[in-house]
Amino acid sequence: MIGHVDADCFYVSAERVRFPHLRGMPVGVLGNHGACIIAKSYEMKAAGVKTGTPIWEAVPLCPQGVYLKRDFTWYEVLSRKMLAIVQAASPRVEFYSIDEQFYLARDWTLDTARRLQSEILQRVGVPVSIGIAPTKTLAKLISDTSKPFGCGIVLDQHDRQELLAGRPITDVSGIAKRNAARLAEHGITTCDQFAAADRAFIRWLLTKTGEDLWWELNGISVLPIQMKRPEHKFISRGGSIGAASRDPARVRAFVVRNIERLVEALTHYKVCCDHLILSLLFTDAPERTLRSSLLGSQGDFDALLEAALHLLPLAWQPPTAFVHYMHVIAANLRPVARRQRSLFEQPKLEDIKHAVNSEMGRFALRSGATMPLVDVYGDAANAYDICDIYGKSCF
Amino acid sequence: MCKGISILRAKIKQELYEQHELARRVTLRGEQEELHFMYTDPVVELPVIHHGQLVIYEWGNRGNKESRLPRTGWCRHESLKAGKWRWLEPELVEIPADFGLEKGVWFQIVEGIEGVVVCDEHEHPHVYMITKPASHYFATMTKHDRMPALINQEI
Repeated sequence: MIGHVDADCFYVSAERVRFPHLRGMPVGVLGNHGACIIAKSYEMKAAGVKTGTPIWEAVPLCPQGVYLKRDFTWYEVLSRKMLAIVQAASPRVEFYSIDEQFYLARDWTLDTARRLQSEILQRVGVPVSIGIAPTKTLAKLISDTSKPFGCGIVLDQHDRQELLAGRPITDVSGIAKRNAARLAEHGITTCDQFAAADRAFIRWLLTKTGEDLWWELNGISVLPIQMKRPEHKFISRGGSIGAASRDPARVRAFVVRNIERLVEALTHYKVCCDHLILSLLFTDAPERTLRSSLLGSQGDFDALLEAALHLLPLAWQPPTAFVHYMHVIAANLRPVARRQRSLFEQPKLEDIKHAVNSEMGRFALRSGATMPLVDVYGDAANAYDICDIYGKSCF
Repeated sequence: MCKGISILRAKIKQELYEQHELARRVTLRGEQEELHFMYTDPVVELPVIHHGQLVIYEWGNRGNKESRLPRTGWCRHESLKAGKWRWLEPELVEIPADFGLEKGVWFQIVEGIEGVVVCDEHEHPHVYMITKPASHYFATMTKHDRMPALINQEI
């Protein structure tokens, strides 16, 4: 059996650990730019505030709510404490995301789940919900439905059918809007309909990923607990750039910032890439994504930046469009050790930058092209983001 | 900026609570009672830690034209630094608070806000909240270009 531990409104709960007076209050945690709610307490949820709601829409819905600045460094501290407790309770644990773990449940009684739940609450201060089921997908589904601070177990066919009956298929992790729309065209909108559908049809419609979910919802485990993060197929850095902009210097500065972050991640995972992808999302034009083939496998700042800046004007069409999201993605990854090296390679400025920043702090030495982002670098909280928490298996 | 603050009721001594009739300021939105101090209140006052004591002082000068004190509740950090308040002999103090309010947005305050205490012609102390240019984050949150000078905290 597989267990799934999922913290209840984790970022809010983490804030309540260090600020207990927030308990019982409607609390919203804001994202990187202070504009959107990235986590909310159940009290704020009850007022109609959803994740992703901009603060100017949340305040009229919940005028008594308190809005906090996110602190991923603190959230990681608690996340790793939670992970350590689950690891002590089970020989196989997957660090799925900052607030979720899968584990091999050797004992699958409600009492055992509640003991683990109490231990996490007592030692970390964060309330969690726990689901135990024969598969990861069912375990996640039952823990989701047991929230807040609940425990649920899917032991047999009857439990499974009861869990799936009438539940929207979008509740299943891995079936988002696009796949849900495809399924809906064929009259499949609920979990039980999905599980009862023809397996070959699901594979045809949603490929192997969909078929895996079909097996899992039918109680056959095909997705193993991954104790080590699987090799990346892509590594991406980016996100919102705050207020949408068509200022070339500012957008370019964000490209440079994201390339610097990407290079850090490539260095951490000891990989380089054959392709670089730049994706731009606009407020007033369709998203555009372009790929550039690099000259050999690259992982250094200069080569990746050159490719990104080559792609920027091509992707930024029309050039008057307002950019509000961007991603730089390293694709076709390969280990640095297996890279074909040039005869003319010399120590790079990048190595010096890495050495200085290791001593002085992240971004202490950075590209001068990031100068237009005084507001971003002026805020120390921007130095650490959710994707900087390494080792998670979900992304 | 910051048009009001909230402090946990538990932080205020009973004696001070009764002396300043703070019961009218009590609200409850979580597990603990809070006291709200707004610049728009009929009685404009703020908690202050002055000479190591938690006291309640009048917040700035909202409408007394006769007073020598500036008719505002806030003191710009830039003007304080430029010496424009020197003639009032301002004393730096801490305004303890757990939350601040600006344009309807409640934000968290970890320790408190920097303030200055000055005396009017009757030697009555008044507290002014120190402000500074808003960070990008605070400006996005509250749509205000000024923010309170928070103690050991960045928003």
